[in-house]
Amino acid sequence: MPKGSERIDHPPGYPEAAKMKMKEIHKPSSFEGAVWVTQGIKDARMIFHAPPGCYMMQHMNSLCNEWHPDFYSTLVSYGDVMQGTETQLEDVLRKVVAENPKAIFIITSPVVEITGDDVEGVVSKVGFDKTITVRPPIGGSLAEGKEKAFISLIDLMDPSVKKAEKTVNLIGPTYNTFNWRADTFELKRMLSHIGVSVHTVLTADCTVSEIEDAPRAALNICMYPYDWGVVVAERMKERFNTPYVADHVPIGFRESAAWLEEIAQFFQIDAKAYLAQEMQSGLDFITTLLVTNTFFESSAALSTDNCDSYSVGIGRFLKRELGMEISLVTVGTDRAKEIVDQVCSTVLVNPSIDEKKRLFLEKAPTIILGNYYDLKLSTDLGFKNFLFADIPLIGHIFSETTPFMGFMGAKHLVQAIGNEIYTKIFIETKGEMEGIISAGEVPWELDAEKALGKIAQLLPHFIRSIAIKKLHQGADEIAVERKTKVTLEILREVALKYTPTRFKAKYSTVFAERGEEGVGEGGLEELPFQMEWDKEAQEMLEMVPSEFRAQAVSGTEEYAKKHNYTRVTSQVVDEYRRELGF
Amino acid sequence: MPLKCYEHCCSSCIALANLGKIEGVIPILHGPQACTFGNQIGSMFCRPSRLLTIGTTLKKSEVIFGGEENLKQQIRNVYAQYTPKIIVIISTCVPQLIGEDVKGVSTDLQNEIPDLKVTYCETGFNHPRSTPMGNDVSWKAIVDVLEPQEVVKNSVGLLGRAGQDADSLGTLTSPLREAGITTYAFPAGHIDEMAKIVKAEFLCPLHLVPYLTSKRLRERFGSKVEYSELPVGVEGTSNFLRGVADLTGSQKLREIVAREEKRVLPRWQRIKEQFKREKIRALLVSGPANEISIGKILAELGAEVIIVPAMRNKFAQQEKKILLDRYRSQITFHEEDFDTVAKLADFYKPQVIFADFQGRVEVIRKLIPCHINENYLNEYGYDYALDFGEYFFDNLRRPVFEEWRDLMAHYGGGICA
Repeated sequence: MPKGSERIDHPPGYPEAAKMKMKEIHKPSSFEGAVWVTQGIKDARMIFHAPPGCYMMQHMNSLCNEWHPDFYSTLVSYGDVMQGTETQLEDVLRKVVAENPKAIFIITSPVVEITGDDVEGVVSKVGFDKTITVRPPIGGSLAEGKEKAFISLIDLMDPSVKKAEKTVNLIGPTYNTFNWRADTFELKRMLSHIGVSVHTVLTADCTVSEIEDAPRAALNICMYPYDWGVVVAERMKERFNTPYVADHVPIGFRESAAWLEEIAQFFQIDAKAYLAQEMQSGLDFITTLLVTNTFFESSAALSTDNCDSYSVGIGRFLKRELGMEISLVTVGTDRAKEIVDQVCSTVLVNPSIDEKKRLFLEKAPTIILGNYYDLKLSTDLGFKNFLFADIPLIGHIFSETTPFMGFMGAKHLVQAIGNEIYTKIFIETKGEMEGIISAGEVPWELDAEKALGKIAQLLPHFIRSIAIKKLHQGADEIAVERKTKVTLEILREVALKYTPTRFKAKYSTVFAERGEEGVGEGGLEELPFQMEWDKEAQEMLEMVPSEFRAQAVSGTEEYAKKHNYTRVTSQVVDEYRRELGF
Repeated sequence: MPLKCYEHCCSSCIALANLGKIEGVIPILHGPQACTFGNQIGSMFCRPSRLLTIGTTLKKSEVIFGGEENLKQQIRNVYAQYTPKIIVIISTCVPQLIGEDVKGVSTDLQNEIPDLKVTYCETGFNHPRSTPMGNDVSWKAIVDVLEPQEVVKNSVGLLGRAGQDADSLGTLTSPLREAGITTYAFPAGHIDEMAKIVKAEFLCPLHLVPYLTSKRLRERFGSKVEYSELPVGVEGTSNFLRGVADLTGSQKLREIVAREEKRVLPRWQRIKEQFKREKIRALLVSGPANEISIGKILAELGAEVIIVPAMRNKFAQQEKKILLDRYRSQITFHEEDFDTVAKLADFYKPQVIFADFQGRVEVIRKLIPCHINENYLNEYGYDYALDFGEYFFDNLRRPVFEEWRDLMAHYGGGICA
């Protein structure tokens, strides 16, 4: 079954239907990739050779996320398709040529790819020199589409220009790349501190003359080395003898420093003083009260599989430099997975939305970083803390001010994540401004009282007392309304409704284990052990509610095998519990 | 004398936070705006709802001519809008300094509104011990206006430390209730429930803080105050519960303790083994008295513990003796003057520090893990200790500190904080 697809059950009587698969459409294609690369070139004109529907959606989507993207279309009709779209394309192309653009890009849509119209023939006939045709492959990925468009730019570049000292090209930022504007701004700022200037940004907001002049740069820098840009950098190296770097994703303090250090070394610049200044400031910032207080006891899910460089960079930064638990990461390629596996035990390659939903609930992260679907999903599931970090979006305002990359990006990420968690938890655990503090003298059933005590231990220290207050109060109010004591069921209801969502999944264990007796020898014997277990490890199963014990055994053994353990010891159980976030 | 106060906050703020968690009670902050604003903001984090504070915001003219009329009017306003059962006037430094007749005001208003009880606490100039004293004097103010009720024989009152205990005493009330012992908790979320503390035959303080409160309950209602030890960690919790079993003659409670120990000891033992493998020296500085309770848990786990105590009342002295007898050279009480926590850290060289905000700023940039005392409340019972112990090393986040040490060595020119 292809990634991103899921088999569904069909009613009897439709045997053929069982072969159908439900496709989830939340990944941009190679066509978007090509469109986004070319539409950001300011003084060029892009013609999307496509039916009006394709054009409208592409343009509208860009207008919701970028400043002033403009492009044209051939608005191919059914009749055009039947009779050939060449005339239509020629008409549009001539009108665009009359506007005196510096270059013209024609992106062919799937319809034109199917009809196989002679686009190149039309281009030749019209005779505008700087016309580039990009044919994104049907079924290709976003990265493939972008790479193909980037490569097409090489035809515009002037191989005769001389190299300029201490200049670089930034390869990778395109329109509709999440946060490209701020990331580019910050990397330029950092480079300027060591005396390096950016010659061309390929391609967001660049000009045609900058593209033509791109071989003048002494070094190419791939900003998204896990996604796109490396192939074009390689081609530029072959054609123009321009070396490139693609070793670091400059996210977080370490990788930003390493990124800049590598560039400085290339130019034989001493960057030590500047790096020291940034790192001292970083240390001052990272050790502030609310940063460590909040991050050390929080977890994050990164649903950023449309930009693997973000998944790799943000995942490593939050885990290693901030001590955050990374409970789930989604990526687009196995290559990125290999890297992210080092900081997260649950890394999914192009998961379906249903898979994400299941894992959000299972992992219950304190904050989710993702796209619009993730925001919707997390809102539906009751998660409060969210930060946009990927496409698709239904519209988002971007500026230079909110980078994720570079030193400022590191600070911004911490600021945005920390404030989101801290403030939302604060609000979530409060009653109304003028609300009552307690519903009265409300009796609690013993089981419910014990369960509340257990729940307390699942909450991070920095919000434990206020969160418990909220639960207590909520349970009291429901009990009063129903004219009953506070029961376990009421507490469960309240716990699922009010408390910081991170912990909802864990609560289920509290409610399941209440009133249970410990596991007797007989109980243990019935469990599906496949591996050898230490007695101590077996005893630890007593902490698991009975209905989940079989699952715990198989899960632990799977974990043990994955990590090359030959027997299950208490250490293995502990590691597995921590991986699950318990 | 230290160069700054290392406690969490002012007594007035704590009183406000404490009383702000009890339905039926409304505090009025009697003081100038410069005093009350900080306390209002400071208390907002931990107050559950009704987040606006009523105060008198004394002006200069009132400082000269007296602010009693202003105070009376605020009390009338509060009663008219909320009809609380009790209004507590939190009398801050300035009214104490100018000799405001707060007691007279409360008597006048008591007469004017017979359905209302007006009481007051003095929270000014409580340093040192500002934080715990804020709790204690505000509880005592409540006790001052409680009505007598019939004492229930063999019943137990559990006397907590702070307002947040209103929601976390279940960990101790539940074994007592399971044993069939009539139990009253103080504080509780509602004043009606809290007021039942006067029915308890035995009053068992759970912490070092409510010393004045216990004393006042004994004076007014004849409660038998029995401080045994802090019910924290495994040994402390068991000893406390066995103490209650002895008081009430409850065999059932003893059985519950034995059952609980059987449940928790295997896990506890595993934690202790980890502490044996990874030696820990912890410095705990002047928390809201939890520097002793958290220190006690750590000592039981095998850590070397240095405590700078916030409290010196009789309960604290009793607890100190217990700890020194039990853990001997493993525990140090630092009661001498010191200038800064940083200097203490230089002297004791701990691997972890528990301090409040003011202490943290001195050590964290040296990349010494520093937990905030105020985040380690509600520390009663077995499960808290298990959770604390099991996640202790994880919560130190040593790899992060190592990462930053390495980063600073490589790029940052070393740590120069």
